[in-house]
Amino acid sequence: MTAVTVDAATKRRGGDGGGDGGQWAVETHGLTKRFGDNVAVDGVELLVPRGCAFGYLGPNGAGKTTLIRVLLGLTHADAGTMSLLGHAVPRHRDLALARVGAIVDEPRFHGHLTGRQNLQILAAAREPAAKTRIEPALERVGILHRADDNVSKYSMGMRQRLGVAACLLGDPQLLILDEPMNGLDPGGMLEMRDMIHSLVAEGRTVVLSSHLLDEVERTCDAVAIVDKGKVIRQGPISQLLAGSSFEVQVECSEPERARGVLRGTAFDAHVAVSSDGLDITLPEGTERDAIAEINRLLVENGLSVYRLQHVQASLESWFLEVTSRLGESE
Amino acid sequence: MTTVSDVAAPAPGPAPAPSPVATRSDHRGSWIPTWGMITTRLMELRKRRGLMIALIAVNIGIPVVFLSVRLISHAVDPKSFGPAGGYSIFTTLVTGFMYVFGFVVAAVVGCTAGSIDLTEGMFRHLVITGRSRLALYLARIPAGLAIVIAIVAVGYTIVCAVCVFAAPTQLSYDGVNVPAGLSRPALDTWAADHADQVICNFNFHGGPGLSQPPPNVTCGGQSIGPPPGTVIRTKGGGTFTVPAAESQAQIRAFAVTVANQDYADYSSNFLSPSTSLMVDVGLWIALEATIGFIVGLGLASLMGQRTVPVILLIILELIMVPIFSRHVLTYMLNVQRGIVGVAMAHIEPGGLPTPFSGGGSGGGNVHPLIPESTLVSSLVIAGWLVFWTAIGAWRMKTRDA
Repeated sequence: MTAVTVDAATKRRGGDGGGDGGQWAVETHGLTKRFGDNVAVDGVELLVPRGCAFGYLGPNGAGKTTLIRVLLGLTHADAGTMSLLGHAVPRHRDLALARVGAIVDEPRFHGHLTGRQNLQILAAAREPAAKTRIEPALERVGILHRADDNVSKYSMGMRQRLGVAACLLGDPQLLILDEPMNGLDPGGMLEMRDMIHSLVAEGRTVVLSSHLLDEVERTCDAVAIVDKGKVIRQGPISQLLAGSSFEVQVECSEPERARGVLRGTAFDAHVAVSSDGLDITLPEGTERDAIAEINRLLVENGLSVYRLQHVQASLESWFLEVTSRLGESE
Repeated sequence: MTTVSDVAAPAPGPAPAPSPVATRSDHRGSWIPTWGMITTRLMELRKRRGLMIALIAVNIGIPVVFLSVRLISHAVDPKSFGPAGGYSIFTTLVTGFMYVFGFVVAAVVGCTAGSIDLTEGMFRHLVITGRSRLALYLARIPAGLAIVIAIVAVGYTIVCAVCVFAAPTQLSYDGVNVPAGLSRPALDTWAADHADQVICNFNFHGGPGLSQPPPNVTCGGQSIGPPPGTVIRTKGGGTFTVPAAESQAQIRAFAVTVANQDYADYSSNFLSPSTSLMVDVGLWIALEATIGFIVGLGLASLMGQRTVPVILLIILELIMVPIFSRHVLTYMLNVQRGIVGVAMAHIEPGGLPTPFSGGGSGGGNVHPLIPESTLVSSLVIAGWLVFWTAIGAWRMKTRDA
């Protein structure tokens, strides 16, 4: 990962309606939004690179949706600057949003109109070419066969798909999807994931706001973690996980004695006894050779090792680790 | 919470080539709505089945039912039931029904147009398109008016057609069937030929040069006027003896005199509304419906909902306007003048009974309208249209989506 400081990013920022030439799909600096005494978005510094699937993760009430609403001009910011696709917002909001598609919260439409008619209304508010994209968009999200049914008869999952179709009307460079997996069955989630991958493959940027860590890990290339209105980590998932602790599961005889053996070594390990062995947590940056060393120690002490496995850190465990650290330090 | 300070950003991706849409202006920031925005908004309103049924039922259905019943009744038993059309039916329907309920229904459509995007979650989708919020608001005005005015026009055209083509063939004036639209000499001639009916039924007002009492004419088997031989003291101090029998010439001359006295009143009665009156009234009703729609749109946009604005506008039209248009409240006179319904009552076309008098003559016990000049009335109406449009547009621009 190339670590980009905020200052450097600020210098590169088009920021003044420069347009699509900017390097970041989304760029915010010191973005703040308050509701009375409650600071929903607290000085957010966010840099979303172009052409990737970017996860915006946080627990409920962390300010994910509020940030998206501020970015899209659905509500005003109290402080800070932001740009979408290199266009300063809100000054060049019309230019920025011309190439942005978004779902915010649960997608809702006129229930008495068909899916196609709802899209016609939205296409009319965009450029003339948007009208020609209605059919392809409906086909792409898989609801063309229900396009002439009233939306009031749609399931939640179908409304989600219609919301994505609405996003595609503007041939967007940037899609911002707020909890797009809500209401989808497993098959629908798989299709949505594939669609996001295909959109990214076309060179578009997808920002995915979610609390479904597993889905984000499967779908996104990079993430930002937000908590209590602040972005506390951001970067490519692989690099963020590389900085997490190193876990090893060991299935062996006499787990209690095995724990004693490992305690007496130079490993700065946290060892817990589980039902079938040991769960060993090693510090960040531990090399793979540690696994072989653990095996050697146990065998030399007369313990039978049946299985020894390096557990790949998941985004979920990393997320919990990060948030728990923050909780401890409070 | 400790904020982690070493927030690092992922590497930026390659910047794609500038897109045609981004570099070409599509006037998305313009406040002028596109034709497509207006037509799709029209479609959205038109597809609201309940709203359209209510709109059609009130503006077309009820007048059609009312006129149909009269047409059938008259066709079945013309002696008991009068003609379906005519001037009086026209004024009754226009001032007693179409004017008031046209406003109410237009206000309901306006309130729907002003709030439904918000309550049904489409407002957010529309804002995300980047289209000017002002344009989004303004697109609703021609779309809504196209529906409201069209339906009001259809209902009004039906009323006009029936009132013209099913009008009575003779005017019933003071209980006498008189040909309509006669000139003064023609009415005199008609009165001379129907002297007994004129003398028995038309109002006789006396006056200078008419010191003679009514001649001895038999009306319904009873003589009117003093009996023959009666000596009457005239205003000049002389006396006059009622002759034993009037000559036919005297009777005809007296009938002509009475008809002349009543000509002004007679000439204000019509078999059917004139073309100019129908045009004027049509424009007046259309303006009332426009006001209802614009005020409803602005108020609903301001409040972000439909129900309360509809209730407020019904109260305004059915309760406040009738009260404030006729009862002068000394300390609130200028406030009363500022009510749009009062201003509209002031500019109603001549030849109609004043609104809010139940479609009647507007005379009798009905209070006169509070004083207001036509200029002030026009300014009040324009002010309401501009004010509520501005309020609605301002709220649309500032509202969180």
